[in-house]
Amino acid sequence: MRPARRWHPFALLLPTALVLGVFFVYPLGLCAYRSFYSWDLLTEPHFVGASNYRSLLASGELGAIALRTLGYSVIVVLASLTLGLALAVALNRPGRLVAFVRAAVFSAYVVSWVAVALLWLWILDADAGILSRTLGAIGLRGHNWLGSPDLALFSLAGVSVWKITGYAMVIFIAGLQDIPRSLYEAAALDGAGPWRRFWHVTWPMLRPTAAFVGTTSLILSFQAFDIVRVMTQGGPVRSTTVFVYAIYEQVFLNLRVGRASALTVCFFVLLCAFTGLQLWSWRLGSPRRRTPGGA
Amino acid sequence: MRPGRRELLGGAAAVVGAAGLSWLASCDGRRGRGHEISLWFSYGGDNRRVLLELVADFNRTQDEVRIVPTFQGDYFEGLAKIRTSVFAGGTPTVSHVVGEVVPYLCAAGVLEPLDEIGGETLGDLVPALSQAGTFERGAERPLVALPFNRSTPIAFYDKTLFAKLGLRPPRTWDELREVAIRATRRAGSGGSDRAVERWGFECPVDWWFWVALMGQAGGELVRPSDGRVTLGEQAGVRALELWKDMVHRDRSMKPPPGRDYDAWQATNIDFLAGRTAMIWTSTAFVRYLERNAAFEVGAAPLPALERRAVPTGGTMFVMPRPRGGTIPTRDKQAALSFLRWMMAPTQANAWATRTGYMPVSRAGLAQLEVEGYYRSHPNDRVAVEQLADARPWPWATELFRLQREVVQPRLEEVVLRDRDAGAAMDEARREASAE
Repeated sequence: MRPARRWHPFALLLPTALVLGVFFVYPLGLCAYRSFYSWDLLTEPHFVGASNYRSLLASGELGAIALRTLGYSVIVVLASLTLGLALAVALNRPGRLVAFVRAAVFSAYVVSWVAVALLWLWILDADAGILSRTLGAIGLRGHNWLGSPDLALFSLAGVSVWKITGYAMVIFIAGLQDIPRSLYEAAALDGAGPWRRFWHVTWPMLRPTAAFVGTTSLILSFQAFDIVRVMTQGGPVRSTTVFVYAIYEQVFLNLRVGRASALTVCFFVLLCAFTGLQLWSWRLGSPRRRTPGGA
Repeated sequence: MRPGRRELLGGAAAVVGAAGLSWLASCDGRRGRGHEISLWFSYGGDNRRVLLELVADFNRTQDEVRIVPTFQGDYFEGLAKIRTSVFAGGTPTVSHVVGEVVPYLCAAGVLEPLDEIGGETLGDLVPALSQAGTFERGAERPLVALPFNRSTPIAFYDKTLFAKLGLRPPRTWDELREVAIRATRRAGSGGSDRAVERWGFECPVDWWFWVALMGQAGGELVRPSDGRVTLGEQAGVRALELWKDMVHRDRSMKPPPGRDYDAWQATNIDFLAGRTAMIWTSTAFVRYLERNAAFEVGAAPLPALERRAVPTGGTMFVMPRPRGGTIPTRDKQAALSFLRWMMAPTQANAWATRTGYMPVSRAGLAQLEVEGYYRSHPNDRVAVEQLADARPWPWATELFRLQREVVQPRLEEVVLRDRDAGAAMDEARREASAE
């Protein structure tokens, strides 16, 4: 389709470009600029070159935060994808009970992160929490789920999985309902059992959906903040200080605007790289489209 | 008879109109009384209610000044907002900040001098709680902070349980370990690795309590002679080793989950739920704990090693000013009249007795004594008497950085990861001197 005037597409893009420019590109540019300064918002900013980046690298803080965030994200994305897919396959059928279970699983996703964090603080309390008490009742020993530096990140990841699995499930159900029944019927006629139908029909057809869910879950998990702020405040021993919380801590608690800006720039670059990598890996594994006249 | 559409619309218009008129009337009422200035505060719960009632009293009892209080989150969030307002040029007329940041804010030139508060008010302040006593040579610095909600760390214990177990509050570090072990109850029988049903002692692994322990072991954060950051040298290490021993060896101390004020709240909740026999927290929680405990709450001063020592805590009133700007004279005078009123004996006592913070007025303190308040509130007396052991903070601009970046992360590493205390504190000193 050709536009009536050459400038029409640009005019239509202008409002979005303005919003993105004012609220995304400009702040990001300002952030990149500030990352070369030492500044506490009170005294005059001092140009320090790449010193903020150097100190983040030399102290090992950047690597530790990136690894921690990545570890948290890997658990959250893989577990929510797997559980979401399993639930979608199990619950993709009619019936009131199934609809109720679907709604129940999805309800966690619509509750605010703060409410979820407060609920799980209570459940995961080392002494009085439901989890520790239930384990105690069956003769197992509870743990200091949020107070142990070795366990806290896993506990937070578990809570996140609990919250976002409903989202993955709903998107997968939509994807499942888009798969033509005729493919299953053809596979069944060819003698394919449930597993083979899943691997050779369902999963290939769900790849784009899985890529979408994986990418959005990855971004969501990289942006974890509320749950950390409410449940662990980045501790114990910084074991749950993930990227966004580290940025908040630097700027609001440690009064280091320059270092927080440097962390933000690193976070942006890392997130772009991982999103690109993830999309590339999904496309790599998907079947190539036939082009007209192609082999 | 069912009302018609016309009646319904007419009724709705009348309701909206009446509500609008009443809102306009209330706005006029608000604006008509006195010069408005803003107060940013950082309290939740009962303390917030008491402060708002005091502010309402002030607004009601005079016509010249009207205080508009606004909640700004916890102390850290409040400070972040003050900094932003300093940069943006929209500072509140009055706010309050923790003592550790006062030297830093003063050095940045964003605190208005408060000398005009007057000798009468200054002379009546409890020395350990005023700027003069809160900081080393505090009287020689420009007066930029006035005491508001001041506190010290204190021990609270389950008096009923202690009587049952034949225990008394510990007076030394050795007694602290012994009492904590005896008050700890484990499931079943066997060694100390059994699950704990009730902890003997709980204390946030937090800078404020570490400073108390370090002071008790005879240390100073900063050497007064040359201003060098020492972090108490060996005393700082001994403080950490005490916690380590109680957490890992004795298994009698529970380090609460969470950090900063969340860890404090977790400590209080464990105590109220009977999961801990004794806690260290702020004197400010005395009313809260007494009101909510199902047992009799006792208060005791912190124990001693080489000496008795506690830091002061809580916040101080300040008047932040925009970067390179000034505060209009009328605003400043209005703020000073409010601050004088807040620190006067009646209000200082109302604040202290209803919250648990220290009374900041000497005349107010004497008045409470005469009225027999401390006879009927022995826990409050413990807090006031412990003021004799209060140690001043160094007037160091890097104080809050020491707290947040140098010391606090290492306290957690040593206590929760069982790291060597000496090595951690050596590293902290190196980092402090490199700043």
